Amino acid sequence: MSEPQFIKVKYSLSEKTAAPGGMTAELANERAARELAALGGDARKALDASIKRLEAHCQAKSVGMDAVYEESSVVLDIAGMFNQRILCDAAYSLCELTDRLRTAGRQDWASIGVHVNALRLIWTKDKQLGPEMKEVVDGLWALTDRMSPT
Amino acid sequence: MALDPKIRINLERSVFCLVDSNPTALEALSGMVRGFGVRKQFKCKTGAEAIHVVKTQELDLIITDAHVGDMDGYDFLRWLRREAQPEAQFTPVIMLSGHAARSMVEKSRDSGSNFVIAKPFTPELLLQRIFWVSKDERQMVKTETYVGPDRRFKNLGPPLGIKGRRKGDLSTHVGAATDPNMDQTDIDQMFKPARVQL
Repeated sequence: MSEPQFIKVKYSLSEKTAAPGGMTAELANERAARELAALGGDARKALDASIKRLEAHCQAKSVGMDAVYEESSVVLDIAGMFNQRILCDAAYSLCELTDRLRTAGRQDWASIGVHVNALRLIWTKDKQLGPEMKEVVDGLWALTDRMSPT
Repeated sequence: MALDPKIRINLERSVFCLVDSNPTALEALSGMVRGFGVRKQFKCKTGAEAIHVVKTQELDLIITDAHVGDMDGYDFLRWLRREAQPEAQFTPVIMLSGHAARSMVEKSRDSGSNFVIAKPFTPELLLQRIFWVSKDERQMVKTETYVGPDRRFKNLGPPLGIKGRRKGDLSTHVGAATDPNMDQTDIDQMFKPARVQL
């Protein structure tokens, strides 16, 4: 086995960020939050469409676990960019469940259905999310944990 | 560990490459980065597009999701660190991670990204990590199984401008050594057993 090489690197980013001008972190964050808010409408539509597709999968029960995993990843990806923690936690639980199911070569549409219903509930409540939603997410994880990782 | 809101950061001349297969997430990432003041950004929906951008542009930072459509983000990073043209190989990378599938855990650990951000995250967190990357002084390590920044942070302490979490973390930069290194004879002498007078 060859010896590890250690290489000193100077990033061009370091030089540029330290150049005079720019803005404070506070202003940068405010501007970024404004940009995100402007994109909120499209994100809501995409999230809604994704949850609808998951509901359709649950009805049809014809797709494999890979498809459910991919769709729940989409929910997690979009919600994650908008810091929607509760929705992310629920989607993460569904990702974990379907990942464990596909690894074991199994399907469990009942558990998936509970997750998708919870996603819809969290999504519908959106701004009125209370502490009870944490219990909903804990319940989802209890379901996921019944399917032990292989 | 929050970034001091008064710290100035200039990203106007920086060139970013953003990679995410989900168009909504990619637009959101692009919006955040635009808000930070980055004027030139390349948005890629696939690994192949990202590879093309790396081959043809000089980039200051790559922010990639762990899922990039035709290949996963870890494979893209592996390509970058091992097969890209030498001047691009050590471009700093921030990896955004949603769910880490079990099959991906090892890949994620060995991916060679500078930082990993777990979703959900806020613009504040992303800006902080960009700032950290700009102050990242870790050496790059090249071994048979890993190419990327040295995973050990301990000896460097927290990045400049960040208050450390450990009791012994130094609040200021230690800087380069001012005296010459000890020679081997001096070091050996320190380890030599010697009789002491009690």
